[in-house]
Amino acid sequence: MNLDFTSVLPSLPFILQGLGVTLQIVCLAGILGFLLGIILSLCKISKMKLLNWLANAYTSVFRGTPLILQLMIIYFGSPQVLGFQIEGVTAAIIGFALNSAAYISEIIRAGIQAIDKGQQEAAMALGVPYRPTMINIILPQAMKNILPALMNEFITLTKESALVTTIGVMDVMRRAYQVGANQYQFMEPLLLAGIIYYILVTILTFLGKLVEGRLRSSD
Amino acid sequence: MIKVEKLHKSFGKNEVLKGISTQINNGEVVAIIGPSGSGKSTFLRCINKLEEPTNGKIWIKDEDITDRQTDILKVRQNVGMVFQHFHLFPHMTVLENLTYAPLKVKKITKSEAEKNAMKLLEKVGLAVKAQEYPNKLSGGQKQRVAIARALAMNPEIMLFDEPTSALDPEMVKEVLDVMKTLAHSGMTMAIVTHEMGFAREVADRVLFLDGGVLVEDAPPNEFFSNPKSSRAQDFLQKVL
Repeated sequence: MNLDFTSVLPSLPFILQGLGVTLQIVCLAGILGFLLGIILSLCKISKMKLLNWLANAYTSVFRGTPLILQLMIIYFGSPQVLGFQIEGVTAAIIGFALNSAAYISEIIRAGIQAIDKGQQEAAMALGVPYRPTMINIILPQAMKNILPALMNEFITLTKESALVTTIGVMDVMRRAYQVGANQYQFMEPLLLAGIIYYILVTILTFLGKLVEGRLRSSD
Repeated sequence: MIKVEKLHKSFGKNEVLKGISTQINNGEVVAIIGPSGSGKSTFLRCINKLEEPTNGKIWIKDEDITDRQTDILKVRQNVGMVFQHFHLFPHMTVLENLTYAPLKVKKITKSEAEKNAMKLLEKVGLAVKAQEYPNKLSGGQKQRVAIARALAMNPEIMLFDEPTSALDPEMVKEVLDVMKTLAHSGMTMAIVTHEMGFAREVADRVLFLDGGVLVEDAPPNEFFSNPKSSRAQDFLQKVL
């Protein structure tokens, strides 16, 4: 094995520049997916059959097809549907947000349903309307229980974001690949990219533990 | 204050309440007793519409709560409820449990809500626990906090759904004492209970339910010493 990082190291800043794009996609898609996930989960537990059906159909489609297919449909299909080409980063954010919303909605639904029904009844009996009951009483308790599963989803999202390479977005992955292609030397830049993703996920895991610890303060 | 007319409630094919009519007057303390499965809790839960009545009418202070036009949230603000399993909000401190609904629903100021809450906590003897989280409290303490939480909305009616059934025996008295004080203060109360001694001592009237039917409605002395129906006689023989 002859690994030689000296020729690749000058390209490290170039690879690291992709971090901005990767983080942008992960953060925005994570937040949007989370918000959409909450809405979907509320639809799933709603008493209105139509909302149940819509939310379940949504989850079924986005879980039932490959993520890379969804990305490509959004990116390459946009000119036909919207009449213009949307940017790769935008397509990536939309794609990942829609996809992770499907998974997150299942996590949140399970989290909400695991909360004792008495919590909602206690709020109802005090005359508290549905919205504040959800926002102040049910969701905070649900979040505490589902945080590990949620962190898992964000970790997956961080790693899967490398798929945007396929729609031409210059993220960490694509830059590493390009460096490799330019120098006919793939192992070193790919290893560097691997280290970068690993550090990202480690930080995310650490943050998750931190939040979990704070939420446990009432135990 | 509360008027119930021909109240029916079914869960699927299972008819739990089979036409109950009664009235609870201002300041009255009514104990609702009966064998398990008789529909006592369902009856109580219909009064603040935690259960939707299948048929019949319920008025609270002249408002027909079975009418869809009635703002049930508004009515519930005036009807406190205490549950068998407390249902305190575990992620809030005791003080926050008491101030949450007044702040959110009545939109009073924080200082006013906290002052009021501390007064109530003092009343139930738990002012020192204001900053604790519920899981640091004993069962009896939790239930006293739950009573204070319901009182924080300043209701005119209080519903109690087996408030001492989940408590260790040595904690029953502290909760009953709080309820006794409340009864003597003129609160209108409906209490589903298995505490026959308490019902006898504190209640103005006893409603005896069996099989979803209101079998007897009498003052406690009369009911306990001279039950008319054979079903009530059977029941009392088993529990006394």
